Amino acid sequence: MEDPNTHDNVDSEKISESFLCCVCLELLYKPVVLSCGHISCFWCVHKSMDILHESHCPICRHPYNHFPTICQMLHLLLLKEYPIAYKRRENQILEEEKETGIFSPQFNSQAYNHGGDPASLSIMDFESKSPSDSLSTRKGEPYANLELLNSDSQVQDDGVCALIEIRNGNSEVIGNVSLKENTSKQVSVSDVLCLACKQLLLRPVVLNCGHVYCESCIIIPAGEMLKCQVCQTLHPRGFPKVCLELDHYLEQNFPKEYVLRRDAVQLKQVDFERSTESCKQGKNPPCLAEPHLNAHIAVGCDSCGIIPIIGDRYKCKDCVEKIGFDLCGDCYNTCSKLPGRFNQQHTPEHKFELVRPNFGSSRFRLVTVQLGDNSTSFLVGTYASEDSENGSPRPALPSDAQENADSSSAAIVASTDGGEDQTGSQSTS
Amino acid sequence: MIDFARVQKELQECTRDMEASGIRVSPKGDTLARLIGTIPGPIGTPYEGGTFQIDISLPDGYPFEPPKMQFATKVWHPNISSQSGAICLDILKDQWSPALTLKTALLSVQALLSAPEPDDPQDAVVAQQYLKDYQTFVGTARYWTETFAKASSLGVEEKVQKLLEMGFAEALVRSALEAVGGDENLALEKLCSG
Repeated sequence: MEDPNTHDNVDSEKISESFLCCVCLELLYKPVVLSCGHISCFWCVHKSMDILHESHCPICRHPYNHFPTICQMLHLLLLKEYPIAYKRRENQILEEEKETGIFSPQFNSQAYNHGGDPASLSIMDFESKSPSDSLSTRKGEPYANLELLNSDSQVQDDGVCALIEIRNGNSEVIGNVSLKENTSKQVSVSDVLCLACKQLLLRPVVLNCGHVYCESCIIIPAGEMLKCQVCQTLHPRGFPKVCLELDHYLEQNFPKEYVLRRDAVQLKQVDFERSTESCKQGKNPPCLAEPHLNAHIAVGCDSCGIIPIIGDRYKCKDCVEKIGFDLCGDCYNTCSKLPGRFNQQHTPEHKFELVRPNFGSSRFRLVTVQLGDNSTSFLVGTYASEDSENGSPRPALPSDAQENADSSSAAIVASTDGGEDQTGSQSTS
Repeated sequence: MIDFARVQKELQECTRDMEASGIRVSPKGDTLARLIGTIPGPIGTPYEGGTFQIDISLPDGYPFEPPKMQFATKVWHPNISSQSGAICLDILKDQWSPALTLKTALLSVQALLSAPEPDDPQDAVVAQQYLKDYQTFVGTARYWTETFAKASSLGVEEKVQKLLEMGFAEALVRSALEAVGGDENLALEKLCSG
């Protein structure tokens, strides 16, 4: 358990290559994990994203459309692992943010005291009815996670029985170390648990919402999209790839636990293969076929993170932040209530206005689309009224209703519902 | 706004393994936005033995936009303009990624010297010659390498002497030559620009 590497790192703060951002070449700050498993800083990913088309991972060029949420588990892990360097990065980025006037999500300082449980600290985790709720009520206790870890292993299937004994035998050691490390702010197993199985992460995958699971704990029902068990957000692109840098870190820093976990999971491998099979069919939003046609250049959705927003865009009229607050049509209609990605002080009481894509220079292409499409009046009307629509709310366009017959977005101005998780109470003007 | 902290890191990293890669990057003046890259001609090509200087200018968006690179040394190659030194290479255009660095970009340019793409030419004349009369192409490329990329055939002392005769102080001359990687023309440019 007492890994010499950990100590070296803490003492000299020699930053492992694994945790250097490939873009700024510095220690990762507010890390974001792309669906290909590669990590970069919040701002580095944001600045790397294509404002008009599909974006590509800086390292492997894997395509993606959604700006993932910061991985808080990794954020807290880095803060513990490299406290000095991470604080320095924090100050440095804060200076830059003050200059630009656009801020990354701020985590409350309390978070730093209870590193182990991402769900309990997260201002971005909204689901209070999540499985991790039980954890959050006990966040002050250093043993909280450990108890879960033990009790969980007892409900494992028979194949893992042997493991339970070993694990329980080890629990004393783990407990001691965990307690000590919590006070000395070092990384312990409880900082790197899977949100589903509550055990040490094995081959971790990070979803678009920033929550981390073991690869084997992710199961997608056939024909459905992958959904986070904690925050219920959909993961947009098929099955995410393992975050190898994090996996490597876990293997190095918790070798004993890692091997135990690996052996246990191998027994369940058959199930796992079936689950990956079913999720290979992960699909992209259908509207992405011709993104440039309906794209809101450089405008991203503050809920799902898609950049640029395709088609209808709902712009908050009450958020005063420079970057604004926007939702894509899907997130607006599903009443997604995640907070802004740039620390906007958005509340459910804020009013939205509908903004049509700015077709601008792609007028020629639009004409060709109109020929093959029945909704000519929609396109013409929208194009002509684009500028005025930005500023002042207007009554619904006549053809709008049929264009969006299946959704309730016919209103130019619609207030969101007040509740966090209720759906269907949207008012249409 | 260029991320100068990153450029600084890149330069350090580049200096660290200059021995292994043979690639050198140094600032041209007192700003990090304009640099000079030096790559050795790849062995087994008509460029072998030459040392090629590449002008690098960093756009405001660097590293989210590709660095602008063009050959300062004249070179005979289908994908490099024999007139302007402009380089036709995808990673310097739409295939740029912010995870690439000046060093990796220069390595790609070096690889381009080994593997010309005559079907996607920058210099049509050279590309035609490459496709229709490969032997002549090799001869010309080698001749250009001998003529333009081997300025260092002049010994260091001779270069210093040459610049001293122009009226510059010896300490300045030596540091300027050092800074630009030994090219007396670039050193002269540096001395003149102050």
